[in-house]
Amino acid sequence: MLMAPKEILKIENLTTHFYTWAGVVKAVDGVSLEVKEGETLGLVGESGSGKSVTALSILRIVPRPGRIIDGKIIYKGENLLEKTESEMEKIRGKEIAYIFQDPATSLNPVFSVADQLIEVIRRHQNVTKEEALEKAIELFRLVEIADPEIKIWSYPHQLSGGMKQRMAIARALSCQPSLLLADEPTTNLDVTIQAQILELMKNLKKKLGMSMILITHDMGVVAGVADRISVMYAGRICESAGTKTIFYNPLHPYTRALLEAVPNIAMKREKLKIIPGAIPNLVSPPSGCRFHPRCDFAGPACVSAVPPLVEIEPEHYVACVRAKEFSGKLPSRS
Amino acid sequence: MKKEKSTKLELQYQNEKSRPKGVSQWNIAWRRFKKNKAALVGALIIGFVMFLAAFDSLIAPYPPNATPGFYVGEARVPPSLKYLFGTDKLGHDVFSQVVYGARSALYVGFGAAAIAMSLAVLVGLVSGYYGGLVDNVLMRITEIFLVIPFLLILLVFLKVITAVAPASIGGLSIVTLMIGVFSWASNARIIRGEVLRVKESEFIEASKALGASKRRIIFRHIFPNVLHIIIVLTTLMIATAILVEAAVSFLGFGDPAAITWGHQLQLANEAVKEAWWEGVFPGLFITLLVLGFNLLGNGLRDALDPRLRE
Repeated sequence: MLMAPKEILKIENLTTHFYTWAGVVKAVDGVSLEVKEGETLGLVGESGSGKSVTALSILRIVPRPGRIIDGKIIYKGENLLEKTESEMEKIRGKEIAYIFQDPATSLNPVFSVADQLIEVIRRHQNVTKEEALEKAIELFRLVEIADPEIKIWSYPHQLSGGMKQRMAIARALSCQPSLLLADEPTTNLDVTIQAQILELMKNLKKKLGMSMILITHDMGVVAGVADRISVMYAGRICESAGTKTIFYNPLHPYTRALLEAVPNIAMKREKLKIIPGAIPNLVSPPSGCRFHPRCDFAGPACVSAVPPLVEIEPEHYVACVRAKEFSGKLPSRS
Repeated sequence: MKKEKSTKLELQYQNEKSRPKGVSQWNIAWRRFKKNKAALVGALIIGFVMFLAAFDSLIAPYPPNATPGFYVGEARVPPSLKYLFGTDKLGHDVFSQVVYGARSALYVGFGAAAIAMSLAVLVGLVSGYYGGLVDNVLMRITEIFLVIPFLLILLVFLKVITAVAPASIGGLSIVTLMIGVFSWASNARIIRGEVLRVKESEFIEASKALGASKRRIIFRHIFPNVLHIIIVLTTLMIATAILVEAAVSFLGFGDPAAITWGHQLQLANEAVKEAWWEGVFPGLFITLLVLGFNLLGNGLRDALDPRLRE
């Protein structure tokens, strides 16, 4: 792997399993990825492919019965998995912040927005309540909420979905984190608000010089925002490359299938291609390449061995034994 | 602590006429509560009994510390203008005793509820939040308390403890303590259930992701979100405690020195036919006060339920 000194986060072989009654769910099974300073990494995949669990693992807040059992999460040169719980509490919110999918439920309903922002600010910064309130109002300006002095006293149930997500973003940004984990931040918003929020996040990232991991299943969202994309399937990364490369030269059949499943305006009365089948049961995932039961190009080699993530071309990592064949010429799916 | 903070923040807006103000859950609850007639009646009854308890020595025509206490003289006089609720067989004025009994009833009700609810909240929060082994152990202990025949064990304990305890500790305090200690279990289970629901909420995960400690999450984020349940349970617990105390006193296991409605009922028991007023009036007050707390509790439940919208 490229050892650029500028990477802010590097995950190696992260393995997070859930110990349920039905068996061990291998939600994240050997994920490696990296985020460079100032970069936005798009983490893409179907529902249930382990994107959120990966992000929760970074902050070490995987809900029970989940446990991180292996790997390294190196943030600014230090392995987060070796930190104590109280050291982690200082990192959460201050160094690495998290934006949740559903703004409606990620705010505490019994406190005003001001109280919630002040709480986070005072937790990580040594300021008085009045100073914290000033900062909170400043943050509200930053996330482009009109009349911040008045709106800040609202309770979550008085705000609209878009406003709540702005408020959640303001809370995540309150201590100027270096890394922002955004877990489908726009999924529950309607399309116009979605575009606004994405534009806002893009600008804020630039303004504050943060790095970001944007988790989504929407290829359209990552196309506009991400610098690089990692595609996840069934707990593993199958392809990692620059955004352009992913869109114009996808080498993993899963990436290609995902792209083909996006409606295209140039498409004339064609039926949208779907990926047959569903994401496999992660208690007993398929052997070898986990995508092989749904893959059009699967051969015997795909069933027997786990394909490693290899650098096919500079900065383009693919975990597929047949990736070399696909390079340049893309066989079309039937 | 919360109040102090809001007043401090308010200072900033002293000069502005239109200080921005959000509508908190409390505002909404109060608006709903005001509309509930039954709950207001309940509150009124409780207010009335509290008034009696606060000014008992002024209201009661024959206070116990007067000579002769509670007017000792004419026995078994039916209600009249002189003796509003009549007198009992020892010549005590029933009305005065009822007035003085209000304080005992409230003392036992609030005291026992405070003890029971403190235990219930502590067990419920810890058990619900930590889960696992802690939850398992605490819930098994809770179950032990739930399967004990409540009144029976209470009577046995009271008999033993009043015999052992020094006389300086009031008998009524022991009754209160015992009721509190034996009635937290079912409330703890209800609170635990609520905690289990709340702790799965995304905002709990969010505060974890923002670096909040476990203690902070339990007391600052989960506790306010289960507070409405706690308030309602407390109200109903007060009513239960008053009833239990009355039952204990009626059975003769209470503090014989204390003036309580239950004790009055016990004395009245032997002459229901000849002197109905001895039992009817204290009984009426027990019923009234318990009804008041129940109405209030129901009203609070409707007002505080976050799932109901106006």
